[in-house]
Amino acid sequence: MGISKNTLKLAIEKIAEKIDPIGDEMNRLDGQLGDGDLGVTLVNGFRNLQGIKDDLPDDLGRALFAMAKSVTAVSGSSFGTLLATALMAAGKQVKDQSNVAWSELPGMLQAAQDAMVARGGASLGDKTMLDMMDSLISALSGLQTPAEMLPAAKTAAEQTLDSFRDQPNKIGRARVYAEKSIGLDDPGMMAIARMIDCFETP
Amino acid sequence: MKKLINTPENYVDEVLAGMQAAHPETYRIGGATGRMLHRPAPVPEKVGVVSGGGFGHIPVFAGYVGDGLLDACAVGDVFASPDMNPMLESIQFADQGRGVLCVVGNYGGDRMNFDMACEMAEMDDIEARKVIVADDVAAAGPDEAEKRRGVAGFVFVTKIAGAAAAQGKTLDDVVAVTQRAADNVRSVGVALSSCTVPQAGKPTFEIADDEMEIGMGIHGEPGVRRGKLRPVDEITDEMIDMLLADKPVEAGGRIAVLINGLGATPIEELYLVFRQAKARLESAGAVIAMHLVGNYATSMEMAGASISVLHLDEELETLLTAPANCPFWKV
Repeated sequence: MGISKNTLKLAIEKIAEKIDPIGDEMNRLDGQLGDGDLGVTLVNGFRNLQGIKDDLPDDLGRALFAMAKSVTAVSGSSFGTLLATALMAAGKQVKDQSNVAWSELPGMLQAAQDAMVARGGASLGDKTMLDMMDSLISALSGLQTPAEMLPAAKTAAEQTLDSFRDQPNKIGRARVYAEKSIGLDDPGMMAIARMIDCFETP
Repeated sequence: MKKLINTPENYVDEVLAGMQAAHPETYRIGGATGRMLHRPAPVPEKVGVVSGGGFGHIPVFAGYVGDGLLDACAVGDVFASPDMNPMLESIQFADQGRGVLCVVGNYGGDRMNFDMACEMAEMDDIEARKVIVADDVAAAGPDEAEKRRGVAGFVFVTKIAGAAAAQGKTLDDVVAVTQRAADNVRSVGVALSSCTVPQAGKPTFEIADDEMEIGMGIHGEPGVRRGKLRPVDEITDEMIDMLLADKPVEAGGRIAVLINGLGATPIEELYLVFRQAKARLESAGAVIAMHLVGNYATSMEMAGASISVLHLDEELETLLTAPANCPFWKV
């Protein structure tokens, strides 16, 4: 079994279950760096996604586009826009396919990352969610099954947070607080790490 | 804040409802969130022309839905980009199988959301392209012209796009001539007092009673110079100087001129600006083929004015003077 619309549905359900505490945590983290709407975007975004998860089209590309559309309807925050951008770019990779091998996931993430770079203007090393994506792509490349991927993703996420914690943010509003951001986890990175945690089997 | 409104939260939706009630032959509210204004029906067999942007600038953007102008327009909150969805709805409404042109002001949110809407449209096999309006010479120098904001020049660019589409041109041709209009329009403004975003409740910026700011953006973005208010002829001279320095007129060069009020400035004063602008432009050798004086791109109750000059060629002039009709402008 590869990635299908049911995989997306399951992912939405798993994350939505824990999104409220994640949202609170992200708001706290994001608020320290001056913006503070990341958590709200996540909570509202997943509320919208919950609303469409049962009606996703079979075509995985269109399903990811539908998710992007639903995420953009919540707010004009840059995180929401980038999330939608990522979903659309991943969707383009799998247009007209209803089932995609898990081994294609790193390629989808790579397309998502490229699109986020093009749209958001951040570079690798700026201490943003792009750096998290980059680590995940490396960690997942060559793996075949979600059972292998989950622990690899978790480890990569933790290592990325650790290695960037003591660096300054180099872009966005957090850049203004570059000094202050040293020692703090980047909210976008942390958001991805927390979403990965949602897939842990209890 | 002193406004004739009900609640700030409902401001945009209620204004749209009023516009539809006043002009049902032209405007219909549509879209899942009611943030698209569109013509009663799409016009078959032509390229669609749409726009979208923050509210608070009526007639820009949605006011220019009409014959020979926009087919549909996405509406955001006051001074805030609409999200991608009403933009996509506008593209879908306007598409008649020949593609859609999006005329977009050069603001980050508007551009980004239209980028996404165009990608979404592609998924539905609709070809949607963008022309960016970046006409404010005060916002950045010629070497960084791509950073200029889109202001009242939008009116001319939209007119060209709408007329080109109405003539049955292909999407490629509509895009090309609209891009040429965008490349050849320049604007600059002067602000005398601030506006107040209803949900903010306080003036967007402070400016003393005896001060003006040349080059200020239509959302209160910083201009090039703040100083004491001076006679209108001198202010007009300064603005014309900026426009001509950026793009000189050739002797006998044909132009269109828009003297635009920002909302609170009386039309009388706009005629004073036109009087001096016409004299200056003509003494520089220009021939004014078309002029507009009035409130075409506003910032709610901001006082001030802007001058836009579109440098014409034969095709642009033909398109600019072709018939068009919306409640704010009839050609």
